[in-house]
Amino acid sequence: MVLSANELTLGYRGQAVVSNVSFHVAAGDVLAVVGHNGSGKSTLVKTILGTLPLIGGELSWHGGVPSEIAFLGQRSEFDTRVPVRLRDIVEMGAWSRLGFAGRIDPAGRAAIEAAMERTGTAAIADTPLHMLSAGQLQRALFARTIVQDAPVILLDEPFTAIDQSTEADLLALIDQWSGEGRAVIMVLHDLSAVLQHCHAALLLGRGTARFGPLDTTLTPANLVDLAYLTPSQAAWQERMFSRDVDSLSGGGDV
Amino acid sequence: MFEWLEYEFMLRALAATSVLSFSIAPVGAFLVLRRLSLAGEAMAHAIVPGIVIGFVIAGLSVTSMIIGGLAAGITVALLTSLLARFTIIREDASLASLYLISLALGIFILSAAGSAVPLKSFLFGSILGMDDETLYLIGATATVTLVSFALILRPLVTSTIDPVFHESRSSRPGLVVHWFMFLVVLNLLGAFKALGTLMAVGLMILPATAARYWVSTLTGYLVLTFLFALASCWAGLILSFYASEVPSGPAIILVAGAIFFVSVLFAPQGLGFLRRRRPSPR
Repeated sequence: MVLSANELTLGYRGQAVVSNVSFHVAAGDVLAVVGHNGSGKSTLVKTILGTLPLIGGELSWHGGVPSEIAFLGQRSEFDTRVPVRLRDIVEMGAWSRLGFAGRIDPAGRAAIEAAMERTGTAAIADTPLHMLSAGQLQRALFARTIVQDAPVILLDEPFTAIDQSTEADLLALIDQWSGEGRAVIMVLHDLSAVLQHCHAALLLGRGTARFGPLDTTLTPANLVDLAYLTPSQAAWQERMFSRDVDSLSGGGDV
Repeated sequence: MFEWLEYEFMLRALAATSVLSFSIAPVGAFLVLRRLSLAGEAMAHAIVPGIVIGFVIAGLSVTSMIIGGLAAGITVALLTSLLARFTIIREDASLASLYLISLALGIFILSAAGSAVPLKSFLFGSILGMDDETLYLIGATATVTLVSFALILRPLVTSTIDPVFHESRSSRPGLVVHWFMFLVVLNLLGAFKALGTLMAVGLMILPATAARYWVSTLTGYLVLTFLFALASCWAGLILSFYASEVPSGPAIILVAGAIFFVSVLFAPQGLGFLRRRRPSPR
């Protein structure tokens, strides 16, 4: 176990946004955090990062608070007009280990190059930030996350406004992190295909939370209960879901 | 043609603004990148009453100027964020209101106290004002600024590009931002004698804005901002030397303004009038 949360109450200045949040993440787990707007997804992210104090409950890091949580936030907060190149963004992943002025050693340099190779950004390493597409920027930020080499990785809506092939490449990377024994927590805004890469789900909504394996947590009944879907959307989702299950088991014909 | 080199006050002014350019350029560069240009402008005017009160109480000393200026700057910054947090008015409106009150108060006190410094020099700077104390102040400002930048450059860059990423990995994320605003006030104080309280912030903003049109790397940006600031100071001081009725502040800022307009028109990331037109596809 890397992180476990017991009956958390989360919010701002004593004002609860969501309570009864319990979940746990082990090394190699990929946890999906799903919920409607204002359900407390961002509040949970800030709480895990330690920038927002808990109102109640207990958040325990087993084996100590990790020295580094690799965090990739929403791109709306990102300023692309600063005159730096893609390479500089990737290097930012190494800065916290270097302190104020330490230089990047050859091993670190190699790790940065490898991360850019892995994410397909090596060829555009010297492109200025404002010339990058949304997909290229997200690839660079995933490269930065690789360079951080952290045991815990926290991603906030990493696939919003990203094309399909970029999403597929980056999902392969998440599978790889899971295989390397890193714990990945990923906030998702919609119930996309991305969920197939997750092992468990935390559903937030209506001020409360449900946690467990995907198939028992993201059920139509739960999704309606926690105001993620309307009953008619849920009925439709259920039909689509049962077809998917049929096709996966090789029984159905779509 | 080079008779301005024969006057000691002119050499002092040139030396002072050259050293000043080293420190005001990176501060201005990050002020522009952090989209704080208008906040910097407001801050420059907000610290005026502090300087004036220090001046009226303790006379024209650098110490009183720094204490008064920093006290006023911190007060206005705190009041601004308090008003934004606890009333319906947003930060920009409360900052604008406070700096106007602050500036009016400063000029009121200065005039009422019957100052020994002419109002024109106070507001617009004077080529003749570079006494030893001012040179020491600028030297100290540049030293503190450059050492600070060596220490905070990485977190400053990170928090400028990706503020939430910066917050996620720093135990005191606000520290670097507050230290940076302190450097802004310090450099404004350093620039006051040469450029005046109204024009000082121009040397921070204009070279940095103009340079951004030309470059795509941070190093290039910082170097070009410095060169533009230096060129503005030298050309402006010489202009003010020959047109002796013109205070040095507006002269320096007009040169910086000319560099700005040339950059807007011709630089690759401006309107790019020099760029070779691509043949249009048929």
